Amino acid sequence: MLKRGLPRWLEWTMDREQARRAPFLAHSPLFAGLPRRLLGRLATRFLEKAYSAGEVVFHEGDPGRALFVVVEGTVEITQATPGGEHLVRTLGAGDAFGELALLDESRRSRSARVAAPARLLILYKTDFDALIDGEARIAVVVMRNLSRLLAAYARSNPVVVSEPGPGVAEPT
Amino acid sequence: MKPSWLLIAGVAALAWLARGLALPVFLAMAFAYLLSPVVAWADARAIRRSVAVGALFAAIIAVLLAAGVLLGPRMLTEASALVDRLPGLASQIDTGLDGAVRELFEAAPVFRRVLPEGGGWARQFVLNRAPGDPSDLFEHAGHLFLLAILVPFFAFFLLRDMPRIVTAAMDRLPPQHVETSVAVWRELNSVIGRYIRGVVLDGLVVGALAAGGLWALHVPYPLAGVANVVPFVGPLLSAAAAGLVVLLTPGQGLAGVVRVAVLFLAIKVLDDTVIQPFTIGRSVHLHPALLLGSVVVGNHALGVLGMIVAVPVATVLQETVRLLLEHRRVLARRRWKQS
Repeated sequence: MLKRGLPRWLEWTMDREQARRAPFLAHSPLFAGLPRRLLGRLATRFLEKAYSAGEVVFHEGDPGRALFVVVEGTVEITQATPGGEHLVRTLGAGDAFGELALLDESRRSRSARVAAPARLLILYKTDFDALIDGEARIAVVVMRNLSRLLAAYARSNPVVVSEPGPGVAEPT
Repeated sequence: MKPSWLLIAGVAALAWLARGLALPVFLAMAFAYLLSPVVAWADARAIRRSVAVGALFAAIIAVLLAAGVLLGPRMLTEASALVDRLPGLASQIDTGLDGAVRELFEAAPVFRRVLPEGGGWARQFVLNRAPGDPSDLFEHAGHLFLLAILVPFFAFFLLRDMPRIVTAAMDRLPPQHVETSVAVWRELNSVIGRYIRGVVLDGLVVGALAAGGLWALHVPYPLAGVANVVPFVGPLLSAAAAGLVVLLTPGQGLAGVVRVAVLFLAIKVLDDTVIQPFTIGRSVHLHPALLLGSVVVGNHALGVLGMIVAVPVATVLQETVRLLLEHRRVLARRRWKQS
């Protein structure tokens, strides 16, 4: 992040992991439009965890406490139906899921399972709330992006259906 | 015996052997929480943690060294002069106390029944507290020196390595427990951090108010008010010191002591109703009865240190139990659905 402003002899002071994380988050639709300074602050609040293939990130019905962003690997979002597990969408690097946990701790509407070994960034609601207490602009930008995602979903799914259909993926 | 029980027994035995490190580790954690916003600021600018923490500690050491060079010789001279003058000061305090007691008896004779006259209390206190054996003094100095080395040492590594420790711990957690267990830790981390920073900020504000108030009342050595930065006992120590100074000041007498008492009472009310809700209030969500009860239990268990840690520990327990019970309900519901 600071690479542009740092003379070469000071580059050793840079945290490469952190410097990579902020621009990576900037590509996520949820954080689009955040200035670099705020992306840097937001990036420090994320935790990272490695998952093996087949591991469940969360189950449908669990209380949602965190947002996840896929750094690498593949995650499948599924929904239980009378006919069995239904694959709703497959996520790759840069995709986010579990966004609604940032609004409240309501129950997960879908399950998330790791399809190929993955590394996920995790942002807990507690940390997000603490951050937006001091930086209201982060809340405004993230909530605006989240509203856009919800509006896009609502437009493509105007009627509540029992079976998830094709179209824009529902935020989890 | 199962291997897991052997591991638990081993950890318990190790914790018992290392119990002497509990205080330095606790103080180091508090110190790390206090400094963590500065490190977070550096994190947001993608500065390596080792560089940020190293620079921060170098700055703190530089400030302490400068303060030591500038104020050290004067403080040493004043401390040794104070030790030499202690018996004389005790007599002066007794004279002042006797005068105040006589004034009190004249104003309210009923106190003659409960207070002895001409007690010589301060002289007795000084004689009882004078270090009998120089080795005691060296032992105390040794403990303080060890704390002064260990606390920053542990704090440095806590600040530098905490993200790595958290990542390693998360990678070892079963995936189905990650979201709730880490949520508990993040919630507690946030509560404890805000509480510790709130207590220190509250102490600084109240200390400055007390020092300003004493200065306005023309009490010599108004910096005694700065003792308020120590939670709970600080205001008492500060009020007692200011009261004694007033007693020793010619022309102040009992009226001066009453003025100091009113000042400290007013600051206490202001602190409880206005300052604390801004500094500490929002960081803990304990019922007032639980809050008071935890402070009493903390005092019984660990004295002043117990009083300081009581509120965050009670909050930690309350939040942990709440979130774990909720997690248990979720797991039970999941098992019921699967069956």
